[in-house]
Amino acid sequence: MAMVITLDEAELITKAQRGERNAFSELVCIHAQGVRNVIYRMCGDLQIAEDAAQETFIQAWTHLPSFRPGTSLRNWLYRIAVNAATDLLRKEKRILPNALEDLQLQDPQLGPEALFFEEERTGLIQKAILSLPEASRAVLVLREYEEMSYHEIANALDIPVGTVMSRLNYARKTLKAKLEHRLFVQTEVEHVDTRE
Amino acid sequence: MSTHVSEWLNAYHDGELHGTQLHRVEAHLAECDLCQAELESLESLSDLLHEIPAPEFTSAKRFAAQVNLRLPHKQTNISGKQILEIGWWMIPVGILGAWVFIGTSFVLGEILSAANNLGLLSSISGWLAFGPSSDIYWSATLGQFGLLSGNSLNWAETTETFTRLSLPQISLQVSIALLYLSWIAIWWVRHTRQEHGQLLEG
Repeated sequence: MAMVITLDEAELITKAQRGERNAFSELVCIHAQGVRNVIYRMCGDLQIAEDAAQETFIQAWTHLPSFRPGTSLRNWLYRIAVNAATDLLRKEKRILPNALEDLQLQDPQLGPEALFFEEERTGLIQKAILSLPEASRAVLVLREYEEMSYHEIANALDIPVGTVMSRLNYARKTLKAKLEHRLFVQTEVEHVDTRE
Repeated sequence: MSTHVSEWLNAYHDGELHGTQLHRVEAHLAECDLCQAELESLESLSDLLHEIPAPEFTSAKRFAAQVNLRLPHKQTNISGKQILEIGWWMIPVGILGAWVFIGTSFVLGEILSAANNLGLLSSISGWLAFGPSSDIYWSATLGQFGLLSGNSLNWAETTETFTRLSLPQISLQVSIALLYLSWIAIWWVRHTRQEHGQLLEG
């Protein structure tokens, strides 16, 4: 009977640092979902997320010998991923910084009912996230979608924990202000539904 | 009622508060409707953010294969950041090294000068080429022209000797000390900012 040997991440890292591509591919498989998810939440575009994630792993491979064993590979990859996403966004300029304002201008044409369609709602939320400054957006994404602790985020982005807190406070405060109307509308609709 | 805890609500919502800070926020929330409402709005926002569905990517194996095709052959051995980090820690080492070098040179110079004055280096004085002292060049010149004499000449010679020999040494030592203190101040600011977050753990 063949024995299945599962190499743990530390062993894979050591082998990849020695230049073994198969070991690195294993690491890519382990972290592909997380890295692509972070980038997607950062940019809201599936294709950019795929491209930036590939770029992230290529950079990780190139600089892997300088990775310190014993530290978190995930945090290290996320740092590269956030930088790669930022760079690609700047190059591609597919996302406008005032995307949320553009959408709000279109809303009256859609009619009040249209607001409650799921697609509209998620699109609006996504655009509100994209309207945040990149630094605050990265912290918000790592906290909300990757459920990382403040220390993990600080470690991943190489910033002090105090900065993590202030950026997260700013991001949430801004989002609340931008989505307040939508939250209010949702509450009103729920209230009407209950009465009916 | 105690003061509002708005600044800690995000950390509380994220489960990042511990110890006394956690108890303080909990106690305040129990009696403050305003902060309670703010906390609920944070929770609503969090729910709202999770309404965005997870994206559907290509399989991890296929993605890994695509990455594998694009991997360059060579890996770099040292990152620019590591070089910067090494450079940062070499600054105080360099400053201390310069201070030791200058201090040692000064002391050695004084010893050799004293030994020469005592005639202990007569056999090698030619080789060392101490020659006549130029420490009092301007005072001697002014004295020759009769502009200075007596006590004023002695005072001018002492001042010139001090200015020529000791002042540069003192200036150098002070400059090095200031550089070192500046480095410590920058290190302390960076360290304090890193440590700030640990206050969360109460």
